[in-house]
Amino acid sequence: MGAAIGAAWMGERPIVELQFADFVTCPFDLIVTVAAKTHWRSGIALPLVIRMPSGGGIRGGPFHAGSPEGWFVGQPGLKVVCPGTVEDAYGLLRAAIDDPDPVLVFEHKGLYRRLRAASPPAGHRTPLGRAHVARAGADATVVTYGSGVQLALDAAERSTADVEVLDLRTVWPLDEAAVLESLEKTSRLLVLQEAARSTGVAGLVLSLVARRGFELLDAPPALRAPPDTPVPFAPELEDAYLPTVDSTVAELERLLAY
Amino acid sequence: MPTEPCSDVLSVDRETRLALLRLVLLQRLFEERVMALYRQGRISGSVYTGRGQEAVGAAAGLALGPDDVVCPLNRELACHFARGVTVAEVFRNFLGRADGPTRGRDGNMHFGVPARGVFPLVSMLGDLVPVTVGAALAFKRRRERRVALTFAGEGAFSVGDTHEGLNLAGVLHVPAVFVLQSNRYSYSTPVERQMVNTNLAERVAGGWSIAAERVDGTDALATYEAVRAAVERAREGGGPQAVEALTLRMHGHAAHDDARYVPSGLREEYETRWDPVSRLEERLAGDGVAPAELGRIRDDAAAEVAGGLAEAQASPAPDPAELEDGVWAAPG
Repeated sequence: MGAAIGAAWMGERPIVELQFADFVTCPFDLIVTVAAKTHWRSGIALPLVIRMPSGGGIRGGPFHAGSPEGWFVGQPGLKVVCPGTVEDAYGLLRAAIDDPDPVLVFEHKGLYRRLRAASPPAGHRTPLGRAHVARAGADATVVTYGSGVQLALDAAERSTADVEVLDLRTVWPLDEAAVLESLEKTSRLLVLQEAARSTGVAGLVLSLVARRGFELLDAPPALRAPPDTPVPFAPELEDAYLPTVDSTVAELERLLAY
Repeated sequence: MPTEPCSDVLSVDRETRLALLRLVLLQRLFEERVMALYRQGRISGSVYTGRGQEAVGAAAGLALGPDDVVCPLNRELACHFARGVTVAEVFRNFLGRADGPTRGRDGNMHFGVPARGVFPLVSMLGDLVPVTVGAALAFKRRRERRVALTFAGEGAFSVGDTHEGLNLAGVLHVPAVFVLQSNRYSYSTPVERQMVNTNLAERVAGGWSIAAERVDGTDALATYEAVRAAVERAREGGGPQAVEALTLRMHGHAAHDDARYVPSGLREEYETRWDPVSRLEERLAGDGVAPAELGRIRDDAAAEVAGGLAEAQASPAPDPAELEDGVWAAPG
């Protein structure tokens, strides 16, 4: 990681690939101390991309299935993207490579095989910092990212209500306007994420809505996220831990019934 | 105990000797001034000095070529000056001024000057070892005849990033030079409590197969010659190089630390016999440089420090309204 930072200092555009996102603990200091703070302190831009497979569902256990994006959400100087579609896996990565700042790309390893779509056109870019309405609706908004996107779309299909799905795509810095704009239409919020409930992006979204969207709401915001434990190994435990379409629909129905 | 003059390294010409004297004096006089300002309450935060180690930063900074890059730490003020950083720029950082190198966002020695090829110090010592390797890797990939240099002390030798960086430097065979600051203390921990084998050059050569030489870091001429040769070998494709400079940190870790844990006899011995500034002055006197000329170099350095301080004090304070500018290069 340090070598990539030094090469970026000299104007290269290094891409660091970690085998698993959980292992980002090892270069954590170099990312938050050097990569994140150098531009603000000295004006040196560090065009650096850090790719890492995150997420569960492959029986990886506590060290190979985590969703640690929340550790970097809120860190000034970093950008964090979590693609939830094939098109964005390409478009966000290309945009990250073009960008002059350090960008962390969390690629959900379950989606590598779960999603199938045609390749986007060469040169396609997904703009950083912009959320995307993946499904328009009027009754409730599901704010999500990464593995949550397809889950939310499936849950929306099964719901009796007209559900909007907002795919954050870039989780830090947060596209605050997109979240508030959606709530102006729907007045009901469900945050869905694969990261444990007290980490990830939920806290940031819920704090935004409490401060600036409170009067838009017709119901207390809901959260569907795993419990505050490491990711478990045994199939019975991991299946219970991860959000599913069923548990997301159930949470949506509770939200809509309020 | 009389002061021991620097060794008479014949390959170091008179012009370089005089340049080294200017640099060690600038660091010495700057740090004496900034310490006084700190004690008067006119500098916030803390002050770190490299008293007793001035020759190392001066020699390394001067040994680099104009297109080389460097990551200095907080004992190497003279290295900044050798790269062309001005006294006023450094004072602006200590004073937290709007037009200083970090615009008041960081203090004391925590700054870099990108236009001079100087990367900003971070407090997590050891981090800049792999960063230096990466800069050197960029040079190697592009076939540029440039060298990247950094420093590391005994404390950094207990940090993993240092060893990861040294290992990678060897494996990738990059033009990087590591100047190892053996000043006997990691904050208050004596080196014998920090490691079993206290010979860093031996550890680097034996552990990482990086050519490493040990020099007396209070001898400006010997240190300059060792680093110059190491830089040259790195530039010519010889791979990473290391020079271990033996000194004593003659101040505490920072201004608040009276360093009472250093045996008084040891400190006195260094003050009288191994002071790098006095040693270089003795050498130049032995070379036949007239006392009046030595006095003039000292006076010029004092005037440069005073002038730079006055310039920095006239600089504006930073505007809190600009605090959030530049967090990202492209805020989006």
